[in-house]
Amino acid sequence: MTREAAKRSDDVREPARPVAVNDDAVRSALAQHLSRISGSRTEIVSFGRKSSGFSWITYAFVARSAAEGDRKLILRVGPPNGLFAPYSVLPQVYALQSLHGSGVPVPALVSAEQDGAEIGFPFFICAHIEGDVPAPWAASELDPDHKRDIARQFVEILASLHRIDPGTTPFASLQQGEQRAELHAIAGWRTSLARPTARYYPLLDWGGRWLHDNCPQPPRRTIVHGDYRIGNFIEHQRKITAILDWELTHLGDPHEDLAWAMMPTFNARSRKLYGVLERAEVIDLYQRASGIAVSDKSLAFYEAYALYQAAAIQMCAVRAFEVDCFNDMRLAVMASQMPSIVRAFERALEAAA
Amino acid sequence: MSASFERLIDGIIDALQSHVVPNSNDDFVRGQVFSAIYALNGLKLAADWRAGPLLEQVRLQDETFAAVQRLADGMAHPEIPATPRIPGDISDAAVIEALRDDGDRRLGQLLLWASDEGARAADPNAAAEIERLLRRAICDQLKIELATTPKSMLQQIAGGEREGGAAQG
Repeated sequence: MTREAAKRSDDVREPARPVAVNDDAVRSALAQHLSRISGSRTEIVSFGRKSSGFSWITYAFVARSAAEGDRKLILRVGPPNGLFAPYSVLPQVYALQSLHGSGVPVPALVSAEQDGAEIGFPFFICAHIEGDVPAPWAASELDPDHKRDIARQFVEILASLHRIDPGTTPFASLQQGEQRAELHAIAGWRTSLARPTARYYPLLDWGGRWLHDNCPQPPRRTIVHGDYRIGNFIEHQRKITAILDWELTHLGDPHEDLAWAMMPTFNARSRKLYGVLERAEVIDLYQRASGIAVSDKSLAFYEAYALYQAAAIQMCAVRAFEVDCFNDMRLAVMASQMPSIVRAFERALEAAA
Repeated sequence: MSASFERLIDGIIDALQSHVVPNSNDDFVRGQVFSAIYALNGLKLAADWRAGPLLEQVRLQDETFAAVQRLADGMAHPEIPATPRIPGDISDAAVIEALRDDGDRRLGQLLLWASDEGARAADPNAAAEIERLLRRAICDQLKIELATTPKSMLQQIAGGEREGGAAQG
């Protein structure tokens, strides 16, 4: 977009507000919803936002009713102006339903509505899990032994997820047509990157085609979490008690989750998982726990793909700020990360070729 | 940073007005914020991206186009612009930025062409050399942008932390 064109478009557009979802309205609609599904008048207390993210909005609250007493619950709402809107609640619902009681810890699902019901936006409600969520980019002050315990559980849980036969779960319905699921995912990000934005990155255009043309056959098509990383789980008393954020879950190559989890961005810039587990150790542990042989070539491919996805996500943010006038300065700052991500992507492609 | 200077300034002003001012009851802090908004409005009227790094990128693109033209001699290829594309007297950053963006699109078309079956069948050595040259040149262009990118403050931005030291330049 030229400077003049940008100016003209600014003249006619009202800045978008990051908060399109009214918290008070959500709270009263939530009370109506829980009263209806439980058949018992339910009051919402201690209601508050837990995050100020760009995607699903998370609320923590207590549902109080005569029938069930006080229950600590979590509500997640897919806002109409989120980065990846319009949202489907199905991947998260499938995950919480089919993984409950498996070797993959997830919060218990309480309710979900794709059409929004009383709340008006796609949402689900699940149990609150006690514990802490570690920050992926901070050098944690936890002692290394503690972190090693957590990192090993993190790998073993991933292996448990990949051992599940997706054909026996609702995830099987995520398969779209005859196209290989992993190619479908790449095509989705290529389409996202092809949308008009202020900047065009030649290496992303070319690299997207390379990824599509060189995508390896998976050793086994498994459930892929899609955002499996430090920061997307809850730990309590040295134990991972829940894996979170299943919104990008799909069927695909298990190497995808492994590569994503080991990205230095999510490990305080370290090449070691959680800053403590060497790459070879991670692969060895994963292979033994999952029974899936890790291919160096596939892992290199998915490390490049991880950076491609990261670039595509950043460009969604850039587009939201530049084109859709979504006024959140964090989105503008994400644009400044693009040169370093694209360069890292080029190097990763070189290693994968 | 952002492709549009004015859009970025508008975003900063909106963030201050919508989120900082309503949450500050300290008159001194509010005075500081409104002064910053005033200064930003002034910058919006009088300033722009520095032309230097943009010019450097366009010149690098021009060198790349000339090199590809030589290597692709005799091959059917996407259009390569005549160089230099900037007459000596242009200093308007918006014009240079538009040329840089147009150059990026043309480099992308050439890279897709050079790595495609057609070019490889016509002259595999030249196609491989052009692909290498283009990838290297595009990375060199990214280095110019990185030189004007401040140190990451991801931790502070994500957590809204007060401590931890602001990133320098």
